[in-house]
Amino acid sequence: MKKHIDLLQDHDFPEPHELIHIDCASHIYPDGSIGIHELCFRVKENEIVAVCGANGSGKSTLLEHLNGLLLPSKGNVYVMGELIDSRTKKDLWKNVGIVFQKSDDQLFAPTVLDDVMFGPLNLGMNKGEAWDAAMEALRAVGAEEFINKIPNYLSGGQKRLVSIAGILAMKPKIIALDEPTSDLDPQHAEIVENVICGLKEEHGISIVLATHDLDLAARIANRVCIVKKGSVIAEGRPSEIFYNTGLLEDAGLKEPKIVQIYEALCELRGVKMEKSPVTIEELVKSL
Amino acid sequence: MNDSQASGHIPDLDLITHYSENCRSALSRASLWTKLVALIAIIVILTIAKSVELLVALYALILILYWQSNLPLRKLFDWCLLPILFVLSLVVLLMWNEPGVPLFSLRFAWFSLTLTDNGLLLLIRLLLKALISMTSSLLLLMTTKYAHLSAIIYRIFPSPLDQIFLMAYRFLFITLDMVDSMIRAFKSRGGGFIKGMSRQSQIFAEIFALVFIRSYDQAERVNKAMESRGYDGTYTTTTEVQQMRPIEYLVLSAFLVAVAYLLLFYGSSI
Repeated sequence: MKKHIDLLQDHDFPEPHELIHIDCASHIYPDGSIGIHELCFRVKENEIVAVCGANGSGKSTLLEHLNGLLLPSKGNVYVMGELIDSRTKKDLWKNVGIVFQKSDDQLFAPTVLDDVMFGPLNLGMNKGEAWDAAMEALRAVGAEEFINKIPNYLSGGQKRLVSIAGILAMKPKIIALDEPTSDLDPQHAEIVENVICGLKEEHGISIVLATHDLDLAARIANRVCIVKKGSVIAEGRPSEIFYNTGLLEDAGLKEPKIVQIYEALCELRGVKMEKSPVTIEELVKSL
Repeated sequence: MNDSQASGHIPDLDLITHYSENCRSALSRASLWTKLVALIAIIVILTIAKSVELLVALYALILILYWQSNLPLRKLFDWCLLPILFVLSLVVLLMWNEPGVPLFSLRFAWFSLTLTDNGLLLLIRLLLKALISMTSSLLLLMTTKYAHLSAIIYRIFPSPLDQIFLMAYRFLFITLDMVDSMIRAFKSRGGGFIKGMSRQSQIFAEIFALVFIRSYDQAERVNKAMESRGYDGTYTTTTEVQQMRPIEYLVLSAFLVAVAYLLLFYGSSI
């Protein structure tokens, strides 16, 4: 666990393939509460990084640093190799999009189309280009049928898809999603999950996923960072992290269901856990 | 639409929006420019007109249009209660002792109140004007998609008024939903209108305070979400307002000519 943190601290500057590099950043809110504390974090090209932690562990604060909504009180944030400060943060939104946890906070326009076109218009596109970008994004998430709807009359899942389209339309390099499947029914959660995978596979976008849904992280993340009290306390592949019960308990989390099932089956059969499946396919293969 | 509404006499924003988005009547297909000009003409008539016959005719015309647009008449009459009470609360002081033929008098120790035919006409006139204003505004709102309304607001109003209008409508729903869920929670734990007045006032004050605080928090989050998409203080709507068709020019011209004729030739007597 410590090894991973040391690896991060070994280099102060981002490597060429790193899109985001956070170097021991801390953020203290005006009321004195700590948002993040000496946090080291990186995102590479075309990967899905899951930031997992209990409520109040600093996941959302970390996400807001990626987009320049917050600047660290201490430490450095590099995005696409550029150090982010009060001068450079104003254009950061062009490269890093954030899908907020509550879609109602994000969807403010009178119609879905207006809302999705909001970002492209701010990018300086003309109406025609913005319309094309919006329609392309809505098609990519399967929400093109809602274009003329008032966001208030969409379901939670539809709102989430439209929120993602609103970010995708700006064609960012990185999309950070805050609890993307929270409050969704299983069907809509699956749709959103597929859309997230599609963002990486089809659009080559790197994804940062803040979640305490470890099952989701286990299924789609290439790398998992465990956050506790504003710091990354562990980082690694899902199969490494999710079989470390002590670490997860320490972070206020619980193993994903697949891990629990595998452990229970191994115990029932009296066999040693030799593999570390984290998805259904891997579990079936292991059995 | 909103089953838990505090009263059926308060216009239901959800229901109004439902009709505005789904209504397929001739009026809903008409350009918003046509409806807006007609509404302004109606307001001009209401400002000038004194003739009860003219007001009754105008109210009847608007009610027919409302009915023809398949809008809920029963609901409309429910919603009339508040404007009627509002007008009555004002006119109850004004309608007495008007010059004219006395109808009846109320005698008190020190003074007497006499209702004349003109006092009664004043009451009827003001009531009709309030009802026409309300019905014609609702008719416009319930036959116009919000996207079109916001587009026209964006074109007509100066900044930042247009920005406030463009964003306020959506958050009106969210705030109403918030209030609605709080009232549900309040009722689910035995809250109601049968307890003591002071306790009720305290609870409603608490709900109001909570809504205020939560709305403020929500505004902060919305601002953050907008900034994260490059918001720099100006937001433009992309919806185009439908242009007026020849038939609309014709109908609107006829209506405006009639209004102008009334004003020019019967200006003092209508």
